[in-house]
Amino acid sequence: MTGFSYPREVIKDLIEGKLPWFETKSIISGYKDEDRFDKYIEILQEKVPWQEKILLPLTDELYVVEKGVDRVVKCSCGHEFGDYRQNWKLKALIHVQDSKEEIEELYPYPGAPDPEYCEIREYYCPGCQSQIAVETVPFGYPMVFDFLPDIDSFYAEWLGKPLAAKKEFKDLTCEFIRQNWRK
Amino acid sequence: MEEKAVKKGIGWGGKTLKEMLEKKERLYNQTGSYYGLKQLPLAAADPLKLELFGTRLLSAIIAGREATRMISASPQIREIAELAVALYTPEGDCILQSTGIIIHIPLIGQVIEWMIQANYEEEGINDGDCFTCNDCAIAGMHTADVYDIQPIFWEGQLIGWVGTVIMEAEVGALLPGCMPPGATDRFVDGLKFIAEKSGAKDKFFKSFERKIRYGVRTPDVFLLNRKGSLAADIAVRQQMRKIIGEFGIDYYMAAIRELIELERRTQLERVKRRTVPGRFHSPSTFEIDMQRTGAPPHHAVNRITLVPWDFHIKPDGSYFIDFDGTGSWGWHGCNCSPSALLGAVCMALTQTISYTGKSNTGTFLSVTMNAPFDTFVNPGTRNVASTNLFAWPLNGGPKFMAQQSHAFFCRGYVEEVRCANTSVSGGAPGGLTGKDHYGRDYSFLSTEPAGALGGGAFAIRDGVISEGIWQPDTDMGNVEIWELMLPTLWLGRRLLPDSCGHGKYRSGYSLISTFMIYKTPVLAIQSGASSQTDKIYPNMGMFGGYSGPSSFMKLLVNTNSKHLIEGRKPLAHGIDRPGVSDLEQNIRGKLTVETKNLPWFEDITKDGDMLQCFYGGTGGGFGDPIKRDPALAKKDLDNGLLTIERCRSIYCIEARYDAKNEEWVIDNNKTNELREQRRKERLKKGIPADQWWQKRRQNIVEGRMPPLIRKMYNESLSKGKRWPGEFRDFWGLPQDFIFKEG
Repeated sequence: MTGFSYPREVIKDLIEGKLPWFETKSIISGYKDEDRFDKYIEILQEKVPWQEKILLPLTDELYVVEKGVDRVVKCSCGHEFGDYRQNWKLKALIHVQDSKEEIEELYPYPGAPDPEYCEIREYYCPGCQSQIAVETVPFGYPMVFDFLPDIDSFYAEWLGKPLAAKKEFKDLTCEFIRQNWRK
Repeated sequence: MEEKAVKKGIGWGGKTLKEMLEKKERLYNQTGSYYGLKQLPLAAADPLKLELFGTRLLSAIIAGREATRMISASPQIREIAELAVALYTPEGDCILQSTGIIIHIPLIGQVIEWMIQANYEEEGINDGDCFTCNDCAIAGMHTADVYDIQPIFWEGQLIGWVGTVIMEAEVGALLPGCMPPGATDRFVDGLKFIAEKSGAKDKFFKSFERKIRYGVRTPDVFLLNRKGSLAADIAVRQQMRKIIGEFGIDYYMAAIRELIELERRTQLERVKRRTVPGRFHSPSTFEIDMQRTGAPPHHAVNRITLVPWDFHIKPDGSYFIDFDGTGSWGWHGCNCSPSALLGAVCMALTQTISYTGKSNTGTFLSVTMNAPFDTFVNPGTRNVASTNLFAWPLNGGPKFMAQQSHAFFCRGYVEEVRCANTSVSGGAPGGLTGKDHYGRDYSFLSTEPAGALGGGAFAIRDGVISEGIWQPDTDMGNVEIWELMLPTLWLGRRLLPDSCGHGKYRSGYSLISTFMIYKTPVLAIQSGASSQTDKIYPNMGMFGGYSGPSSFMKLLVNTNSKHLIEGRKPLAHGIDRPGVSDLEQNIRGKLTVETKNLPWFEDITKDGDMLQCFYGGTGGGFGDPIKRDPALAKKDLDNGLLTIERCRSIYCIEARYDAKNEEWVIDNNKTNELREQRRKERLKKGIPADQWWQKRRQNIVEGRMPPLIRKMYNESLSKGKRWPGEFRDFWGLPQDFIFKEG
């Protein structure tokens, strides 16, 4: 439905989980509002304590923001994780739940994951110590790069608003490791 | 003089079905549009008429499905609706589908296409014929799901097909039940119907009925299900004729093509309007313990298989799923197949983005996949068993839904975001065999978990309790009906405290059922057939939330329950908190705890023994648990879903119990202190990622991990093309690196 829209306050309450369920349900069942992304960004931009322009929310705490000609991942607390094309987890704090006690705290019944086979990795923001991601993966699996957005295609082809400084759609994670971690 | 083709086909316009199929494929390949439709004249001229037409078709399909439910004998059909009905074009493309086990919808179409390619037309396809198929070498998710398909004719020309799928609880395999774990090749995994003509003039052949009567252990249920299925097909076919009479055959033939092309375009547009393009990645694993299933020794191999996959949302709105790096297939019934993957895509898309009731082949045309041959997702032989092809799609596949949810989140459609959950019958009696409570030879399974699993958390609220993602209108069924079919008495159905995927928003809770084995002298029990997540949990949480727990079963034999009943003493009904189980506390007996799926319990049960099943596969949590609203935690405390110990340790929320008012009261000050303290702890125990990388890299170089994991990686490193390079690159390993085994 062309031009369908919800009031800004409704979207704000929806994002924050404050919208009454019957209204939420009607949004789920109804037409999707076409201006959602613009309102979403506007609302999120007001919530964060920093000025950089949000290009894309990545998680409930992380954003891809415009920083000069660069695009970096930034936490709502302001901590920065570098270029959005490298996995932000490279610059996070990591804790692996590898003791029986820790795992049984989460999984107190028979059949808890076996730490020799399974790593439960918690990733924290060094700035605000928020737990931004948890990975439950086989032992030794590389850090999971959950999502590499194709931001230029998104803005140019889907939103019709091309961004000025185009970036190659390329995973730079291993390049970062090669340059910084390999001895 | 030019010779004209004299052969007249049964298809539309006198064409053969093969000609029609070839034409349809050629037009799509040439134009990229379904049936080469660049214009949609019916939609343009009168969109409301087309809408009305589509709605009439859909209501006919749904009515057919409901008729089946009323006729079928099995509680799986009547109670939890393990069936679905769909309408197809002459070439086998889905036009519209009912709700139900929609994972099969495109696969019934694949069977139709297979029949066309196999020249069934030459053998004769007539009005009133029925074709039955459950052979996954053709298409399907597992042998238990039986497709009954009928052609639809109009004035002597075949203008479409209707297909119904029903899941059977017993299929006459090597071992009882419908998913026998010890069956490793197709020749022993159940009675096969290889798209065979099973009836004519709207009646099943006597020979077909005899085959069932002598071929499965519960023939009455199987036969009544076939009749229910045929009733649905006939009901839909009759309605189609009525609709065609009203709209005209020319309109019908043009409109069904337009409905598919319209949906194809709409799906691409939906993706562009609701998601963000890019690449998602997730690994999942599949564990199988074949040594305890009674498989022949050369197939009794335990293994863990890695399925790493990339999911791409492309700028044109299409999806591409790349299974490069997937490990080897094995001689067991739980491999996947390209057909099963397509079913999983149907299940996922129809419930998450194409949910308007118009989902059809047009939806699935927008998805392409790379399922490398000779791997777990595309076995190198058709002789392997197919008892559980759906096992991985339901274990790992839901993560695909969560990845799409991630894209919804980035775009702002937070109300559509939900974490994944494995969606399987883990922890359920996957096979029951022996004698039933009527004294008859018995073989069945319980699919109660269809409505017993905790759903993944949403981005704006907690996950739902009691669902099964493979069954949109899921239901656990009435205990009283199950008790007619199973020699078990239900002593309790409860939610298991502390058993969710924790997060700012938690997953739903899964149920635990407690049974007393009833009036049978001998009953063998196999643990749930498809949830292979024992040592390694699937990655189900989002944005800091944890994966939910897996399943378990407890069996207590040689009990004193009869004595307790006579003395009116307490029995067992559930588990009220971790470490406290009334099964162990109240009843004496020999206890076995099973966390793996597939194996049979070694002990044979009898009247008075006890069984407890936790239907794990619980969904993931969303967000950092220490950001959970204390009011939500209070609700869980008050409802007995959360213990105060885990409320403190996971959510960092303090509360005290007010005995007078019988409720929990949150201590906000202490909660703030606990949360502040947790942040400090994280700063202390969290190490910079490079330190972790150096340490773990050393583990990898030295191969310090269990042999099954080394083998798992080696299979993927040898099978893949892209993924092995990425793995080696990440860890800074030589490009020919493999783990030492042995």
